[in-house]
This record gives sequence, C-alpha cells and structure tokens, in this order.
Amino acid sequence: MTDLASSGTRRTGGTAASNGRGLTGLLLVSAPVALLGWLIIYPIFNAIARTLVVQTETGTAFSVDTYVRFFSDGYALANLWLTLWVTAVCAALLLAICLPLALYLRFAKSRVAGVLQGLALFPMFVPSVILAYALIRTIGPNGGVDLVLNALGLPKINSPYLTPWGPIIGLVWDNIPLTTLMLVAGLGAVSDNAVEAARDAGARPLALLRHIIFPQIGNAMLVVLSFTVLSIFSAFTLPYVLGPASPEMMGPFMQRTFSQVMDTRMAVTQAVISFLICAVFGAFYVRSIAKNREARR
Amino acid sequence: MTSHFSRRGFLATASASAAALALPRFALAADGFVNVYTGSDSNISDFWTNVILPGFKSVSPDARVRVVDAGDGAGLRAMADRAMAALGSDADPQVDLFEAYTPDQTEGSIDAGLWVNFAEAGIENLDKVNPAAKQTDFDLPYRGSQVLLAYDASRVAAEDAPKTWDEMTTWIHSNPGQFIYNRPDKGGSGGNFVRRAIHEANGRDPQKFTLGNYSEDYAAETLPGAWELLNGLAPDLYEGGSYSSGNTQSIQLLAQGVVSMTPVWSDQVLQAIAMGVLPENTGLVQLQDLALCGGFSRITVPTNAANREVALQLAAYVLSADVQSKIITELGGFPGVSWDHVDGTLREKYADVIPASIPTFPGGGWDAAINDGWYRNVAPGLTRG
Repeated sequence: MTDLASSGTRRTGGTAASNGRGLTGLLLVSAPVALLGWLIIYPIFNAIARTLVVQTETGTAFSVDTYVRFFSDGYALANLWLTLWVTAVCAALLLAICLPLALYLRFAKSRVAGVLQGLALFPMFVPSVILAYALIRTIGPNGGVDLVLNALGLPKINSPYLTPWGPIIGLVWDNIPLTTLMLVAGLGAVSDNAVEAARDAGARPLALLRHIIFPQIGNAMLVVLSFTVLSIFSAFTLPYVLGPASPEMMGPFMQRTFSQVMDTRMAVTQAVISFLICAVFGAFYVRSIAKNREARR
Repeated sequence: MTSHFSRRGFLATASASAAALALPRFALAADGFVNVYTGSDSNISDFWTNVILPGFKSVSPDARVRVVDAGDGAGLRAMADRAMAALGSDADPQVDLFEAYTPDQTEGSIDAGLWVNFAEAGIENLDKVNPAAKQTDFDLPYRGSQVLLAYDASRVAAEDAPKTWDEMTTWIHSNPGQFIYNRPDKGGSGGNFVRRAIHEANGRDPQKFTLGNYSEDYAAETLPGAWELLNGLAPDLYEGGSYSSGNTQSIQLLAQGVVSMTPVWSDQVLQAIAMGVLPENTGLVQLQDLALCGGFSRITVPTNAANREVALQLAAYVLSADVQSKIITELGGFPGVSWDHVDGTLREKYADVIPASIPTFPGGGWDAAINDGWYRNVAPGLTRG
C-alpha cells in the first residue's frame, strides 16, 4: 500500500488532492462503492452474523452449531464434494478446450478465425434453461444423437442426463465464451515480435508455448480459473435440471434447504461456506489484478 | 480487425436490449392492474391467460388483470410474506389474488387477518363449492386434480396395467428401467407418489396424517417404512434409481419412449395428450386399493390487496359454471364446485372418472419432513451410498 501512495504523490503538477482531482475521483467512485457496500458487503457480514449469533432464552449467544452440523452431516459433505469435483472437472475441461481455441484465434489471421470466434461466443447468448432442455433433447435418452446413431445401426449413447456429467457438459458449453474471451485478451499481451524472434531462433511450437507464451499469460490463466470456479460453484439451473437427485450441487441444495426445508439459518450457513471457498479464488483474482497494476506503473 | 468493432457493437446492443427488458420490472407497482400470482405449471397460467381472463372481460369489462408466474410455491410464499409485511401499513403488497395458495403456508397469517374470509365476504357462487373440498373459510378450492399412472400403451397392455400398489411393485421389478417418478419437492406427481408410499407403509389410511398431528417423533415413526419401500423400488427404476426434476420432465421421458410408466397429474397428462406431446393411446390407470393423492388448488385473497373488490369478483367468476366446466374440458381437472353445478352433459360424460373421494396429504410440517427425508434416505440409493 505504501508503494501506491508514494507513486501517487510523485505525479507532476502537484498532488492529486491539491488540484481538486482527488475529490472528483472519489465522487465518481462513491456510487459504485456505496452500492457494493450496501448490496454485497453488508449482506455478507449480516449473513455471517446470522449464522453465528442465536437468540436463546437468556439472550443472544454465540454458536457454531450449524457449522458443526454441516461438517458432521455426511449428506451435506457429499454435496460439497460433488460441487468441488464438478468445479474442478469443468475448470480442467474448459482450459483444455479453450486454450487451443484462444491460441488459434490469437494467431490465425484468416476469415475462418472470425467465423470461429463468432461461434465460440454464441453460447453467451443462450439462457441456461434453454440450453438445459436442448441438451435433454439432443444427448438425453432417445434424443437427437441417439436417433442418428440408431439410423446408422450403432448402439445408443450412455446418456449423461440425470448424472453429474449432465451439468458438467452444460456448464462447460456455457462457460466457453467467457473463458475464450479472457484467454484471447491475455494472449494479446504476447507480442508477435517475441513469437517471431523465437521462431527465427528455431523454437519448435511446444518450446514456444512453454518459454514464450505461457510465462506471459500465467496471470490470465489465473483469472480464468478463478472466474470459472466462481461461476460454476454457484451454478443453479443446469445442475437443477440435468443433474442427479443426489448428491446435489450446492446451488440447488441451498435453494432446497431455504425454500423446502425452510431452515434459513442452515441455508445461510451453506451459503457462507460456499462463499468462503469462492473467496479463496476471488483472492487469486484480486491479487493478480493488483500485481498487474503494479507492473504497469 | 473489423470483426472486433462489430462484436463490440453487438455486445453494446445486446446489453442495451437486456437493460430494456429489465425495465418493466420496476414499473410493476400500482398501475391499476389486478395481480394474480400463480406458482403452478404453465398449463395453469395459460388457462388463466387464455380462458379465464377473456371470459372475465365480458363480466367486468373495465378490469385489467395480469397473471404473474411466481415460479413455485416458494415464490408464492415470498409474495405472501410481502403482503404480510405490508399488513397494517399503507404499502401496496402488489398482489391481489393467489391462484393456488393455502393460508397455513404463512405462519400466523390467519390470526393476523391477512386473508379475506370468503364466507363473511359473501361472494357469489360460494355455496356451490364441493363440501368435500372445503378446508378453511380463507381459501377457495376452485380446481382439483389427481395423480394417476400414465403408461405407454404400445408396450404395456391395458390388462397388465397395475391396479394396486403390489401389482405396480411387481410390474416395476419385472420391467427394470421402465419407471421413473420425479423428486418429491420438484412437482406433485412424484410428490404424491412418495406420499402414496407413505400411505402404503402405514396401513393405507390417509386419516393417520393431518395438518395438526405432525411432530418429529410421529414422522420418525411413520416415514422410515416408506423409505424402505421406495428404496426397494430404486434398483429397478430408470438408470437404477434416477429421479426426474419435475412433472414435465417425467412426461417428456414417457413421450420420448425412455420409460414406459410414470406418475402424472391428471390435468397435465390430458393436456399433453390433447397437444400431441403424448400419443392418443396413452394409457391412464389409478390404483384401486388406495388412489394416489390429489388435491384442490385454492384461491386466497389478501385483505390488504389494492384491488380487493375486483379480485373477489374474479374469484366468484372462477366458481361460475362456465369456468368450472372449462376446468374439466380444457384443463382436464376436477371442478372445485360440486358436480351438480357443472354442465349436465359433462356430468354424464365423466360419470365414470368422477372420483368418490380424492385422498389428500396435509402440508404444513409434513412437507419439509417428507421432502428432506426422501433426499437423505432415498435419493442417494442404497448401493451408491
């Protein structure tokens, strides 16, 4: 923090505060910061407080009983594990699919690349509930894929519908655009000159990837990873419609605990636990942004 | 590089139109519309929009009514909470009529005076309501439906269709993978199938379960037997124990020929057949030893509704012979009024399917106990831990 402060005062033409720009800047950010405080920060602390403070006959008391219940409940833990597993599998699949795609989009100059980019962005504009029903129709039992296979005299696929793979396929498809966009943006930092210089020096594609490209997009990959983890961890529609009845992912589990079991305190506890796990990945993201800023100064 | 510019333009237009779509949400309040909230499936909201409202226009030409989909029971509960919070203040709860809601779902709401007492309000047609369907004076049963078993008649002969719970169990075991029911909290067809299992495990006596007799101990005594029955079925259900996530998904699996039999709502399956989603020859059968549960959907009106008078007129209109007959013909449901008050020809035509009684299962504390109990004891399956 001291670095940031000192670099601010080093600007030419006096300090930001002395020429009145500081106030304008603060005013400009005050609205989003106030919104953030009101709609995000306050509810977080409110939620944490609601899980920890209980009203008893003798007054308010501190209690972690819902957390103890959550972590000693095999059913809830199975749901948490499934969510972590689905998130990990999705993140791995997304990187495996989107990295080659982003590399191609970054370095290809042809017309086909433009078309491909459009296609890669397409899932962004399909609401997940539409996607869920479309997937039931295609890769669901006796769906489109089965009809084609049947016409060719091949056996039916083992449908992922109502298994954990159902939501995984949907979530990966749904997250391709954002992941690709972020990776392409990260690859923008890799200069053509560096790549060509390495090629001239006789670097093979793999060496190029390892020594020139990867070191420069490490940050972007970290951002991608944290973003996908955050969005997949909180997924609701696709696990709800495509996933198995049990174990449930945290999204449907929280909703059910809240509205069906009507155990709001437990639902909030589940939310806090999910939030803490997501916060770890959020911290990665914030750290990488901060690092980026410092590097640019 | 041009693709970059066009993409940016596209994104800008897309976000602008998304913002425009979000706008009407803010403009919902106090615009003279009577807000009818429903948490039912789309066949019901379609029925309101396409049948009831145009008909109501001819009775009350000036009334403007809007049907709002609250999603599910929880959505309605949130709206009822809002009305409850607005009670005693000048705030407009922005809801005038609940399409299917019972006062017991909002704790203390009857004592607080949240609901219009229909008997005291003296609305028209109230005397026609089927006495068997009546529960409290604060709710108005206007349509009933029942859960049946629907089967693919090209694969199951009518004489082989099960007529008792035991026959059904035998059928499921001799046709592995051909039966599915949905998760009990995600739709009433699976929900009432699970409740039928509870009845089966407790001497097939619906009287054993009432709104008032729920307690954790009593549930612990009565429910495990049902979990045992359902776990026994699991290995021979679709995919060795998969459960669809809603009423419509079960119908979809039946329509795609994935399963041969599934529990369905009577109104929904008749409409699916009428629309060609299910073939004309889809078989329907009810268990004869004890029917699968059903229930009546009940209109409730908050006392602090901004358009209470119109809402009550609308409720009275829904009980008219006109709408009640259409509930049978267009919705495939049962009327909320006694059968004497529907079109005579209909009464004759449906004489065979008019149920003498529809067993029901109380809500209240039972709902949470049954649904969560099912998730913990049945959904994971025995083999899959």
